[in-house]
Amino acid sequence: MRDIVFWLSGATLAFLLTAGAFLILANLATAPSEKRLNPDQARGESGQAVDLILDRERLASLEPLPDQSLELEVENEGTEQLSDVNMTLSVASENTALSDRRYYRQTVEKIPAGETASVRFEFDLPAREDPVAKPPTENPEPSREILEIRATTPEGDSTVRTVILPP
Amino acid sequence: MLSRIGPAKRVAVLSVAAVFMAGCTHAEKEVSIAPLVPAAGRLDPGLGPETRALSSGPGYKGSPSWSPGGARIAFTVDGYVVDRPTDSEEPRRWTTRDFTAEDTEWISEDTLMILGAASPTGTEESPSSLYRTRAEGDSLELERIEKEVSAIGTGRGGLILARGRGASESRLALTRGNGDVRRLYSESIKGRVASLSVSPDGDEAVLTVRPPGDLQTSRLHMFDLRKGRVREITRLDGNREILGTPQWTGQYLYFVAGVKNTPLDRDGSEPLYEIFRVPEEGGAPEPAPGVGEDFVATSIRVSPDGERLAIIGRLSPQAPTNLYVLDPLAEDLTAVTTNEDMEIKTGPDDLAWSPGGQSVVVVARGTPSTEPEVHAAPAVRLLEDFYNLYEIPVGGPEDAPR
Repeated sequence: MRDIVFWLSGATLAFLLTAGAFLILANLATAPSEKRLNPDQARGESGQAVDLILDRERLASLEPLPDQSLELEVENEGTEQLSDVNMTLSVASENTALSDRRYYRQTVEKIPAGETASVRFEFDLPAREDPVAKPPTENPEPSREILEIRATTPEGDSTVRTVILPP
Repeated sequence: MLSRIGPAKRVAVLSVAAVFMAGCTHAEKEVSIAPLVPAAGRLDPGLGPETRALSSGPGYKGSPSWSPGGARIAFTVDGYVVDRPTDSEEPRRWTTRDFTAEDTEWISEDTLMILGAASPTGTEESPSSLYRTRAEGDSLELERIEKEVSAIGTGRGGLILARGRGASESRLALTRGNGDVRRLYSESIKGRVASLSVSPDGDEAVLTVRPPGDLQTSRLHMFDLRKGRVREITRLDGNREILGTPQWTGQYLYFVAGVKNTPLDRDGSEPLYEIFRVPEEGGAPEPAPGVGEDFVATSIRVSPDGERLAIIGRLSPQAPTNLYVLDPLAEDLTAVTTNEDMEIKTGPDDLAWSPGGQSVVVVARGTPSTEPEVHAAPAVRLLEDFYNLYEIPVGGPEDAPR
C-alpha cells in the first residue's frame, strides 16, 4: 500500500513539475502586448523619458466621422517632475497626394515623476475614399488613416506613436 | 496541514507549488516592442537578407526607374513623381501632387522624361502629355514637350514616343537628347499604341496596339525606325490582351498576356496571365519555355545585357508572388525570393533592373492588418505597412545558370 502511495505521489509530482515547466515556457513565448510601447529613438540621450500608452480597444472603435475622441496616457518615466509637455496629434490619409493633414495640440502642465497624465484629443476623422475606378497607376484600395501622436518635453525629448487605422 | 508532514516533503510540496504558480502567472503584460529599423541599410523584410529598402513611409508607390548611372531612382507615389539617391533618404519631388504619371524614362543623369497629366489621365478623353524635367541647382523644371502621347521608350537613337488622340490612329516620333522632336514618322499605326520598346540596336521598336473598336490591346507591331515602316508581327485572339511592355531578348520578343477579367467574373481574383514569346520576324505566340505550365506572370523586364528576364509571378495560381529570373537561352527559371509574407506589387511597370544588372527593384508591402496597428516610429520611417521599393540582389550574368 505504501509503495502504491509512493509511486502515485511520484507520478503526480512529475506531472506537476512537467506541467509547470511547460506553462513557464508558454508564458515566455507569449506575444508581447502592444498596448504599451517603448519610446522611439527620437528621445535625447540625456533627456527625461515619457511614454505614450494607447488603448487598443479605443483605437478600434474610432470611426470615419467628425467628433471622434482619443484618450491616452502620458507617463513620466524619469525621476523628476515634467512640466509643459507638448502633445501633438496629426491626422492624415495614407494617400500622400491628398494635402489634408490636420494637427491638434495640447499641453500637459505637470506630470510628477513615475506618474501618468491623461490626455484627450477631439478630432475629425474624414470619411474614407471610395475605391472608384481609377487609372492603374493609382491605388485601387481605399486609403487608411494615419494618426501620429507625439509628446515633446520642454528639453526637446520626443516620443512618437503612429497608429494605422484599417479601412 | 504542512505541519503534519516532514521538512523534506514540505520543501517538495512548496517547490511544486512554486513551479506551478510561476507557470500559471502571465509574463509582464506591458512588454515593449523594439523600434523599427530605419529605412536606410540592409534589412530582411521577408524578401531576403541582402534586400535593401529604397523608400519608406506612406504612399502608393510604383514604376521604379534607375538613372543611367545608377545614382538615383525615380518612382511614382500616389501618381506624382519623386526620385532619390539610392544611398540616402532625401527624396526629390518632380511634379505637383495633383499630377498623375504613367511612365518615367531617364534620358540623362539629371533629366527625366515623364508621361502623365493632371488627373484623370491616360484616357482617350484626357490624353497624357510628355514632360521633360531637369534638376538645375535647387529648382526643378517641368516642361511639356508633346501633347497626346500614349507611350514612350528609350533606345540608342533617343527617346521614341507614340502620339495619337483617340483609338483610331497613332504615329511615332523620335526625340533628341533634350527631348525635342527630331523626326516625326509619316506612316501611321492603326489603333492606339499602349506601350513600346526599342530594340537593343536601336533600329526597331515593338509596339503593343489596341486596334480601333477593340477593347483589348491584342496586337504586336514592329516599326522599322530607319525606313519608317510598320508591320504586324502577331495578334492574340479569344479576348486575350497584352499586359505591359514587350521585352527584347535573343531573337525573341517576350510579353505577358492573358484573358482579361470581365465585369461579370470580376470577383476580386487576379486574371491569370502567362508569358509568351514570338520571333522578331513574326509568327504565332508560344508559351515561354522554362517557366512551367502553371506559372502566372504579372510583369517582366529584360536585364541591361539582354540575357535575362526578371519576372514577378507565381509558380501556380495558389502560390505566393515572388521574383524570378529566367535565362531564356538555358530555359532555366531561378527563384530570387521565396517570400510568403510580403505582397509584391504586380503592376506591369513595378520592377526595374539596376543599370549594372546586379539587382532588381520591386515594390512590396506586408499584409495589411484588419486591426489598428501601433508603431513606435514616425509614419515616414515605416516600411512594411506601405508599398515601398526594395532592391534585391540577383547576381551578375556570370551567376546565371547555363
